[in-house]
Amino acid sequence: MPKRKLDPLPSAAFQILLALADEDLHGYGIMRQVAEQTCNRMRLGPGTLYSSIQSLLAEKLIEEVGLREDEKLGQERRRYYRLTSAGRKLARSEAERLADLLRVARVKKIFRGEYV
Amino acid sequence: MSDKVYSWLLRLYPSHFRQAYGEEARQLFRDRARAEKGFLPAVRLWLDLLVDLAISLPREYRYGQPQVQAATRQPVEASPSFHVLEVEPPRFGALFLGGLFSLVALYGISVLFSHPGEYRRDAASFSQRQTQVDTRPSPSGPAVSHAATTAYKRMAASGQPVDARLRADASNPSDSQSKAPLPVGQTSSPQEQVSQLMPQSANHSINRVAEEVKLDAAERQLVLNTVIKNLKEHYFDPEVARKATNELLGHQHDYDGVMEGATFARLLTGLIREVSHDRHLEVVYSQSRLPAQPLTPTPEALARYQQRLQQENCTFEKVAILPHNVGYLKLNSFPEPSICRQTAMAAMAALNQAKAIIFDLRDNGGGFAPMVSFIAAYLFDHPEYLYDPRVSPTQQSWTRSPVPGNKLADKPVYVLTSTSTVSAAEQFCYDLKMLKRATLVGERTRGSAHAGIWYRIDDHFGMGIPETRPVNPFSKTDWEGTGVEPDVKVKAVDALVTAEKLAERKLRR
Repeated sequence: MPKRKLDPLPSAAFQILLALADEDLHGYGIMRQVAEQTCNRMRLGPGTLYSSIQSLLAEKLIEEVGLREDEKLGQERRRYYRLTSAGRKLARSEAERLADLLRVARVKKIFRGEYV
Repeated sequence: MSDKVYSWLLRLYPSHFRQAYGEEARQLFRDRARAEKGFLPAVRLWLDLLVDLAISLPREYRYGQPQVQAATRQPVEASPSFHVLEVEPPRFGALFLGGLFSLVALYGISVLFSHPGEYRRDAASFSQRQTQVDTRPSPSGPAVSHAATTAYKRMAASGQPVDARLRADASNPSDSQSKAPLPVGQTSSPQEQVSQLMPQSANHSINRVAEEVKLDAAERQLVLNTVIKNLKEHYFDPEVARKATNELLGHQHDYDGVMEGATFARLLTGLIREVSHDRHLEVVYSQSRLPAQPLTPTPEALARYQQRLQQENCTFEKVAILPHNVGYLKLNSFPEPSICRQTAMAAMAALNQAKAIIFDLRDNGGGFAPMVSFIAAYLFDHPEYLYDPRVSPTQQSWTRSPVPGNKLADKPVYVLTSTSTVSAAEQFCYDLKMLKRATLVGERTRGSAHAGIWYRIDDHFGMGIPETRPVNPFSKTDWEGTGVEPDVKVKAVDALVTAEKLAERKLRR
């Protein structure tokens, strides 16, 4: 059985890492945060979200920080996730890789005027 | 409601995923459903879910369970190791369905076991067609010529004066009748019988166009008169012939308006059998023209028949020594001794040291009385009369016992029978049973005893008449119509096991 790969990092996994950069979040929180940071372009469904979380946990890029309630969402206890230092490092290197790409794109002048 | 639908959709995921994240996924769904109210957001939500399902389901199944990955990552030593892949016990529904499928599969296999399959049966009936004609072959293919050949050979072997008849017919061509022997033990339909009597080598000379010939009063009268004449002249029991004649004449008004030959033949046959109870007495209609002369087998046809028999080891299918030194012979016909004498002698010699002997005649479709006598000779130490209802006693009706060097004359004998044990095989069973020489194990046999001689009436009609019935030394009736009753009645499939047990018990004493 093939092992689930995080290399290259799938965009969903990268978005989750970014979403957890500021604070610990539960699944729904991550989903909302991802939607927000992508201007609602990426809405993670439960299947994609939790299978990504599963592989990130397995690679110790994020960790579980126990169950607690979210006052805004009622009495239900939710599992929260936190970015690990390895996760932060990976997110940074991924961001740098994208920045490199961005630089190349700038040199090649494929951007429209306002972004240059 | 929608929560329930989503719960159901979640069941599509592998159990390890459901266990780890099922509750959270449902929670997320509820949160979203609560937040995104209204028609359009709801549509978008479900669209998202379906897309998510389509993307993540295959991935979950492909990447499988973390436990498995962890397990396979461990270095495997030479010793075997076991890993539980599913932590969750199987659901009751799954257990029930699994049990049900297993039962169905087992039942199917057992049904298949008890039905050996059409292929084998076809092959068996084909080989029987080659060696004897008591089976019911379809009137097609090269087997026809073999069957006819065999019929002639049989008559020659049983001492019927075939040649004399041929000469008589040749010298009197104006006679509308000509005779040909009808295969022994015939009970098949008229069409088949006629076809059996037409060797393929002669087919091109026969007009096989199946024109529907309408009967007129003149032909009906001719057929009726000839049938009555033949009955009186040839049937072995004049009293029955007279009764049958009266029966035929008494129903004359029934014949008017019968336009179809087959119907007319059936009507006459029915009337005759009403009084005679003889299944070999019958009137036959053939749509194709009957050959004017009985056909003699070509040398090629005879050679083919002989070759066929040799290829099949003369239908001696199996010769074996079973546990406790019980000899076993599976014989599927009683072939012509002139061809198969050596094979029969070799088979009996191979069983000579046995302490008991089992004859497996469950698939034996009959054959030649001389072979019955030839094999039975090994079971007696003095010549024994073997009753055959088909022919008057001849020299061959006595076994040529004792056979030099033979040790089987005083050994217990078991004969396995089934409903497919026919004709000559029934003679073997009947005589050994009546002589108290064998124990019959299995089913009641087919019940085909008598033989008819074929008489041609005109181009489309003929009839079969048994001409002799020798005195039965054992009882008033033979096995015609009733079959031979086994001593130990078991299903044919269980017969061998039963006979083995009987033999073992007997030998232990």
